[in-house]
Amino acid sequence: MNGKIIHTVCLLLSLCLLSFSNNQKQKPTNPGTVKITFKNTVKGNPLELNTGNYINPFGETYTVSKFKYYISNIFLVKGKVVSFSCEYPFEKPECYHLVDESKPESLQFSFPVIAGNYDSIRFMLGVDSLHNVSGAQTGALDPLNDMFWTWNSGYVMAKLEGKSPQSKIINNKLEFHIGGFMGEHNVLKNITLNFPQDKLLEVKEGKTTEIIIEADIDTWWQQPNEIKIAEHAVCSMPGALAKKIADNYCKMFRIKEIIN
Amino acid sequence: MKTKIIISLCLITILSALFIGAADKTPIAFADGKLPDYIEFKIPDGWPKPPINIFAKNKLSEQGFQLGKKLFYDTRLSVDGNISCANCHQQFAAFATYDHDFSHGLNDQHTTRNAPALFNLAWMTRYHWDGGVNHIEVQPLSPLTSPMEMGETLEHVLAKLKKDSAYPKMFKAAFGTEEINSQRMLKALAQFTGSIVSSNSKYDKVLRGEAKFTYSEENGYKLFKEKCAGCHKEPLFTDNNFRNNGLEINTVLNDYGRMKITGDPKDSLKFKVPSLRNVAVSFPYMHDGRFQSLGGVIEHYRNGIVTTQPTLDPLLVNKFTITNAQKYELIYFLNTLTDTTVTKNPRFAK
Repeated sequence: MNGKIIHTVCLLLSLCLLSFSNNQKQKPTNPGTVKITFKNTVKGNPLELNTGNYINPFGETYTVSKFKYYISNIFLVKGKVVSFSCEYPFEKPECYHLVDESKPESLQFSFPVIAGNYDSIRFMLGVDSLHNVSGAQTGALDPLNDMFWTWNSGYVMAKLEGKSPQSKIINNKLEFHIGGFMGEHNVLKNITLNFPQDKLLEVKEGKTTEIIIEADIDTWWQQPNEIKIAEHAVCSMPGALAKKIADNYCKMFRIKEIIN
Repeated sequence: MKTKIIISLCLITILSALFIGAADKTPIAFADGKLPDYIEFKIPDGWPKPPINIFAKNKLSEQGFQLGKKLFYDTRLSVDGNISCANCHQQFAAFATYDHDFSHGLNDQHTTRNAPALFNLAWMTRYHWDGGVNHIEVQPLSPLTSPMEMGETLEHVLAKLKKDSAYPKMFKAAFGTEEINSQRMLKALAQFTGSIVSSNSKYDKVLRGEAKFTYSEENGYKLFKEKCAGCHKEPLFTDNNFRNNGLEINTVLNDYGRMKITGDPKDSLKFKVPSLRNVAVSFPYMHDGRFQSLGGVIEHYRNGIVTTQPTLDPLLVNKFTITNAQKYELIYFLNTLTDTTVTKNPRFAK
């Protein structure tokens, strides 16, 4: 009798432990691949670094020399079903992407997704607060990428640099380094993009489906907040101005195309 | 007999299941089976647990510590090859800059704040006088890239380390492969600086019953507990908080401290409360090194506090009444906080 109880307890315990250790290795069953491509634009036209001359809604002209932003915490949604792009809770360096217009290879990336139809994609524009306070990181989060503030720890979530004759800063600089992850200075934005109703994202086993997302710089200047270069040509710390700009640019994305 | 066999079988299954689980977590970087010699970070008896475990994702090892120490003393971390971390953080001054209000950086430039002493960093959650740095691992980025301090770029530093004959091997011993990247460099530095613990001063020995205070030291300790311990909380001798201690603002520097980081006017003129451990060897004092001696500091608390600043710490609103005799007793006590296991320990020396 005693032996039987011990036997049962042991068996249950072993099963539990075995299933626990197996769980850790689980990957999406029947995965397909989703490839995301970012196309950076100004008023719908492809962004041309340094050479493109652009006009904002207030008639101020500007050029763009740097355009970079973090994309993280990506998942696809189908009703109540969620498929993560990366092992939850997004701890590995490869869960973070730095989209950098000057590096074509950074404009697209792929990840495995459970096969099925999806109606929206969600992601964070920026780096979640946890990874702003967890010490030295690597990959896209490496401070080498010039997106980490050393004097006030935290990531620059999005960076837009260029020149404008309306800028009152030395050398007519335009310099938006938008960051802040705490309390009222938080500029992290959770973005949801719905796929067109007549064209859901179809992820098929062993196949690649592509999502092309357009990010338009023209959104940075207004709605809801008017940002005039003559008044604000530099933003280089967390605070009210950074929040205003982030409230504008969080609307810069749209689904351009789905290639099933 | 049968039961015994069942139990043994079960145990084997459980152990192997645990082993599989454990194997999953072992960094694959150590595939050749040569793990570094891991060290346990010891919390002194009776001390509070650090608010976060800085070694949780940076397992402390002898090889990691030695690599961090080499980096700490390496002048190649600066652009002109003259300045190492140790230039401003001198061991004999408890890793502060001895006798300098501001330290010397690149091309004879001065920094704008007094170099803080480095010990018991494992108990901090915010670094620098204004707490702008939120993790020990990312702290070195600041002096390394500051044009007033080491003036380097991460790219250059890493390129120099890669060309060195010793570093690739040391990175392998600490992290499993010869790869040199910023994360590994910063983690190694954190292993060294985070390991510096001050818990063996005369004061500690008295508390452990291994030594006795003199009559004056004892009186000074009583006065300390009454007047100073509100901010300089035992056993760390700081509450690691940010406070305005009523210093007249230096109108050249216009340093408003913590407010620069938070943007909150309530944080105006607040600076981190420094530990009083090793205070006798880490002069001058305050964020701008304005006081040369402990006597000068006590004089400030007796008569110098600017009471008109709205953010003045509530604990300092009423002037300190300290007699001259008490002042010297307090200094006698503060001298018992010097810890040669920090200032003279060959383990932390170059």
